[in-house]
Amino acid sequence: MKRSTFVSSALSVAFLGGNASVALAQVAGASAPLPSFGANGDPDNVLVVVQMGGGNDGLNTVVPFADDNYHRVRPGIALAPASVLKLNDRIGFNPALKGLAALYHEGSVAVVQGVGYPNPNRSHFEATQIWETASPERPQQYGWLGRYLDRRFPAGSKPPLFEAVSLGDTLPAALVASHVEVPAIGTLGAFGYNAGRNLAEKQSAGVLYDGAKAGQSPYLTMIAQTARDAYHGGDTLRAQTATFTNKAAYPNNGFAQQLALAARLIGSSVGSKIVFVSLGSFDTHAGQRAQQDRLLGYLGDGLQAFYADLAAHGLDRKVMTLTFSEFGRRVAQNASNGTDHGTAMPLFVIGGGVKGGIYGEHPSLTDLDRGDLKFSTDFRSVYATVISRWLGRDPSAVLGGAYPAIAFV
Amino acid sequence: MPSKIDTSTDPQVGFRPPGALDAATALLPYAGRFGPRHAAHLLRRAGFGGAADEPARLASLGMNGAVDAMLHPPGLDAEFTDFPDSDVLFTQGKNRAAAQMWWLDRMLRTNRQLREKMTLFWHGHFATSINKVPAAQMVAQIDLFRTLGMGRFPALLSAVTTDPAMLIWLDNRYNAKAHPNENYAREVMELFALGLGNYTEDDIKEAARAFTGWTLDRGLQAQFVAARHDDGPKTVFGKTGNYNADDVIALIVAQPVHQRFLARKLLEFFVYSDPEPELIESAAQVYALSGFDIAKTVGTILRSNVFYSTRAYRALPKSPVEFAIGTLRYFGTATVPPNLPYQLARMGQEPLNPPSVKGWDGGPTWINTSTLLARFNFVNALVAQTAPGKNGQPAVSAPYVNPDALVGRVGMDAAKVAAALVGEAVQDDVTSDVRATLTGYLNSATPTAATQNPMPFGPENYQDKIRGALALTLNLPVNQLA
Repeated sequence: MKRSTFVSSALSVAFLGGNASVALAQVAGASAPLPSFGANGDPDNVLVVVQMGGGNDGLNTVVPFADDNYHRVRPGIALAPASVLKLNDRIGFNPALKGLAALYHEGSVAVVQGVGYPNPNRSHFEATQIWETASPERPQQYGWLGRYLDRRFPAGSKPPLFEAVSLGDTLPAALVASHVEVPAIGTLGAFGYNAGRNLAEKQSAGVLYDGAKAGQSPYLTMIAQTARDAYHGGDTLRAQTATFTNKAAYPNNGFAQQLALAARLIGSSVGSKIVFVSLGSFDTHAGQRAQQDRLLGYLGDGLQAFYADLAAHGLDRKVMTLTFSEFGRRVAQNASNGTDHGTAMPLFVIGGGVKGGIYGEHPSLTDLDRGDLKFSTDFRSVYATVISRWLGRDPSAVLGGAYPAIAFV
Repeated sequence: MPSKIDTSTDPQVGFRPPGALDAATALLPYAGRFGPRHAAHLLRRAGFGGAADEPARLASLGMNGAVDAMLHPPGLDAEFTDFPDSDVLFTQGKNRAAAQMWWLDRMLRTNRQLREKMTLFWHGHFATSINKVPAAQMVAQIDLFRTLGMGRFPALLSAVTTDPAMLIWLDNRYNAKAHPNENYAREVMELFALGLGNYTEDDIKEAARAFTGWTLDRGLQAQFVAARHDDGPKTVFGKTGNYNADDVIALIVAQPVHQRFLARKLLEFFVYSDPEPELIESAAQVYALSGFDIAKTVGTILRSNVFYSTRAYRALPKSPVEFAIGTLRYFGTATVPPNLPYQLARMGQEPLNPPSVKGWDGGPTWINTSTLLARFNFVNALVAQTAPGKNGQPAVSAPYVNPDALVGRVGMDAAKVAAALVGEAVQDDVTSDVRATLTGYLNSATPTAATQNPMPFGPENYQDKIRGALALTLNLPVNQLA
């Protein structure tokens, strides 16, 4: 019987009892001094990707409050200039983003304006696929982060099971890889073999998986190994994350709780390097203000707590957060005080290792393509920057082409 | 023109079973012993599985009789209501769930398992998603696969070309002489019939012109608008003519590589992963000689030596749909649990929602820690429950698990119960230590959830214990294999 390294080492240490938390941390190398921060990517750098699902309205996120056209075409939903959290004399954050504004004023937020791609797709499904696979021209089997992971861990190598995780019940297209497994973790409690309170049954399952023999079919060998990883993985995850205490007060909503778990996965001996979290319901066709403001509040306040937590653990410079949404929304509002599917929008790059500021051109509100904003920055430039300067890999191999880097890192 | 199958992106490569193929006899009819294990193998591959007593019943028909029973089931099928009236979900506006439940219900209750299995095969092959296509058109496409999926492939491909769901999914509704859209033409060649590398970009451009004119009316019915069709000469695979859609389909299926392309997909679905080139060649010949007839080709495979070889036995991972429907069929329940689409999404295969135009990759990609935990916990939850009634009504008498029946058959004896479970659920494909572990669990003095009663196996705890032992059995690694 041979288990994967992470399970056997973690469990054998756990069985020692006593000061297991210290031992666990040493096993995973987390207590070793952090290597110095490198400008061109560091193997310890962490990327958190925040999906803002549904198509976030960029113009009410980073508001061109000084542009008369903005107020003219959005009489029912425009934000009053006085309320906007100003970044300069032309644009400012939606006031719901006060948490993000605080991070911005610490120099930890890059606002990349007018992000999009040629021939934009306005279908939620297809546009999401395009962003997650970084392939506007052709459907792609693997996600952009999946392709990055496949290159970082060549076939045959066995990356740590929780190297990359998705916090949710199913795996987003961005993390579909050819040979690197990315677990989808709904909650810590749900990730595990659940036989109710029937302890004998659960223990017997462990005996059966640990004793499972390799078979004639290569699949049986693989399934037996994966069953052992799955069976023990939840317990390992809970034991390892238990050694980490969140040192910030997170708001009481699902998104903030995802970020709290992300901090535990990153900061504990689990040592996750890629974490995907999501915040949904940005599809504001009607009554946009109340809905979007609430969601942006979740986003900004959650990220503020997340970075306070990371800073308290000395990790804020090691963790970069990138937001994205499948599309922005139409420039003019509709008759329901909402906005319909559009194109380019701003995204945020956050972290102590980020050069804060405003990047790219704000799209014109009058030079439009069928009522929609023209993009000024290709989203693959953002990905290329993250892959090359933060994760330290060749982005052209992952993205299938060269895209100019942006100076936010 | 290259005519090789491109396997560079097939994750099943490397999962070919060990041992040598006897290519000369591989597809000849199997003449060996045909017992319940052979019948159970046939049920898993040509269907979704059966109740505990079904393998023995099928085995009594002999191999040819059993395959005939799968290919041409006698008697009437179960009664099914049509979407959208099939379920209260539809009246609640939950069209997506209603369509998924409509199909899962059919998979669970049909007497025509192979037809439904082929429908699932074509859904993965012509992967179309309810994320872009309305539920009613998705349902109509599944019906199309059910009706034509065991006939001749060219007729199927022709019907798919003008199927409203496909016209929406791959944008051929927008393909017109004035503004050609190559999306459908490309996928027909790459994904549906030939495979990457067996056509040129010019072939795609020219074929796309032949597919022009097919669009949708306001009621989303397919219609051919002559004014949108490009009726000029096109050159495809070196031949020139004023081709229309069916002409190009005929040219595509006439490419020799098409026979190998489809033969390989059928072998990977029914027999084992990464089949040998010699086996693909034999199956391609069977397919060509049959006149591209799917039922005849599949029938030959299901009767063949290679299909009943030890190399093919338990040599493919069950897909999530096979695993879930197979589990419910084994329990003998007639009701789909209302959260099954969600459970299947967690296992990695939400019906009507393939992850991309390539469908599900299958093989090793079904198996990872998250998807296995989803399978395990699906079973763990089921054995603890009573099956729900139809349309939210309480169940009359439909427990997923019936411990009384088992004890009635084998007695209140832990070893016999364990032996019966591994015999019926996994055809004894276990080692003796598995039986010992299950017996040990049944006899363990550890309190259980319901009883808190540290008694060995007996009248006080057999209900809980048998449910637990069944979950352990169904969650064995070997039961993840078809």
